Amino acid sequence: MSAGTASRTPRRGAPAWVPPLVLAAVVVAAWTVTAALADSAVYPLPTEALASLRSDLGNSRFLESVADTARVLLLSYAAAIAIGSIAGMLLGLSAFWSAAVLPVVYALNSVPKIVLYPIFLLFLGIGDLSRGSFAFVSGVLPMFLIMVEATAGVSRLHLRLAASLGMSRWSLMRRIVVPSVLPSLAAAMRLCFGLTLIGLLLAEMFSGSSGLGYELLRNLSLARVENILGQVVLIGVLALVPTLALQQFELRIRNRYEEVSA
Amino acid sequence: MRRRPSVVPSYVRPTPRRVAGLPAAAWTLVLVAAAVVAVELYARSGAVSRLDLIPVSEMATRSLELLGNRDFVVDALLRSMVLICASFAASAVVGVGVAYLMARSRWVHRAVKPYVNVFYALPIFALYPVMVVMFGTGVVPIVLLATLFSVVIVISNALVGFESTPVIVTKLARSLEMTRSQQLRKILLPAALPDILAGLKLGLAYAIIAVLATEFILATTGLGQVVNRAYNNFNTVDMYAGILFVSAFALLANLALGAALRTFDWRRR
Repeated sequence: MSAGTASRTPRRGAPAWVPPLVLAAVVVAAWTVTAALADSAVYPLPTEALASLRSDLGNSRFLESVADTARVLLLSYAAAIAIGSIAGMLLGLSAFWSAAVLPVVYALNSVPKIVLYPIFLLFLGIGDLSRGSFAFVSGVLPMFLIMVEATAGVSRLHLRLAASLGMSRWSLMRRIVVPSVLPSLAAAMRLCFGLTLIGLLLAEMFSGSSGLGYELLRNLSLARVENILGQVVLIGVLALVPTLALQQFELRIRNRYEEVSA
Repeated sequence: MRRRPSVVPSYVRPTPRRVAGLPAAAWTLVLVAAAVVAVELYARSGAVSRLDLIPVSEMATRSLELLGNRDFVVDALLRSMVLICASFAASAVVGVGVAYLMARSRWVHRAVKPYVNVFYALPIFALYPVMVVMFGTGVVPIVLLATLFSVVIVISNALVGFESTPVIVTKLARSLEMTRSQQLRKILLPAALPDILAGLKLGLAYAIIAVLATEFILATTGLGQVVNRAYNNFNTVDMYAGILFVSAFALLANLALGAALRTFDWRRR
């Protein structure tokens, strides 16, 4: 695959994946050199961070935390996608109600949601329900907004066709709206994954009894930086793998469904 | 004679000006007012403990009282505002600078672009504990994280702007033998300005989110910390007042910057 991309860019210089790797190598090298020079307890070497990550991964309590976070993340992400996209498509069909409702949702979305988290705690208690709901809210608002805008952009011609064929609401959704908004849906799914994960980690960092965010702050109070850094690397990997998969998914959807003549 | 209902489904009919005699903007107000009244009545009905929810009117009076409180204004409001402005300024300068380098150099572009693309998929707040251990609980970790969080959106928008410069104009610059700084000042920056402004607007929203979130999670002063402390002390009135204040603050700051930037945007004039 990488050889294929390399041969398609015969322009001067190295293949496309070389510069990013060089940059990453420079950053890791700078980290190593400064850490070795500083020789400080709060600034570990990359190797130390990875070693502590390996020992963390052998710890069953830590693995339970990872599994907790993954479980809550999957549930709240699935709920955010389902509810956000369906509600967005229903509202997007009505221009009047979109104009009435959207300003409120845009305003809600621009507020730093984490300060609302105590309200979730007061009503839902500390636990999976409150942090899951918070992650859900972090993901569902942008999902909803993108889907409303995408549905408002469905071709008028196609809608008139549906009307003249006397389509039911259900088949209008299934045959016209959903295929038209699929590219936006795929893009929104990728975006919302990151936002749901950030929401969940912030919630866990504020108050939790398990989960990756909780582990981060627990290690902070123990001043174990190498563990924190190792976990940051793990979180990065856990976030990147689904994102790259969703990117591929988005690409395939766009190739299949996007109108060629826009 | 009764009017028969139209057989034309609503989604292809022209958008009505009014529904039930009210235009869309009025319905927005109705929705917000209904939500406020519902919370007010629910809180006053006695069905919910005062430790969980207080009437909206009390939240509003208390947050206005906070504005008269000198400690709150100096330690929380002004401090958070200074941090937000500092991170916003840093990310604006660095962001436009990096985007300019990316537009200039193919190598830098190819090295940085993949990271910019996936940046917001990474929960960057996970780095906050690391920064706290390294730099203490002062302003440094907050400003660093807020700058990092907001700079990438500035970069990606400014890059779109620089790349949208019409080819004919860059050719003109070359035939006039402009120097690099002339090209930047007279061609690239003006051409990219609308996109840069859009990026700056998002950058401010991101800086506000990052500063308040980090203060909320772990800090000794600041707006976010006021909410956190009130929650931990079971001081529900102050907590809701703080939340209301923070939300109003973020909303107003975003609206104000949006309005200010629109006056610079030549595409909308």
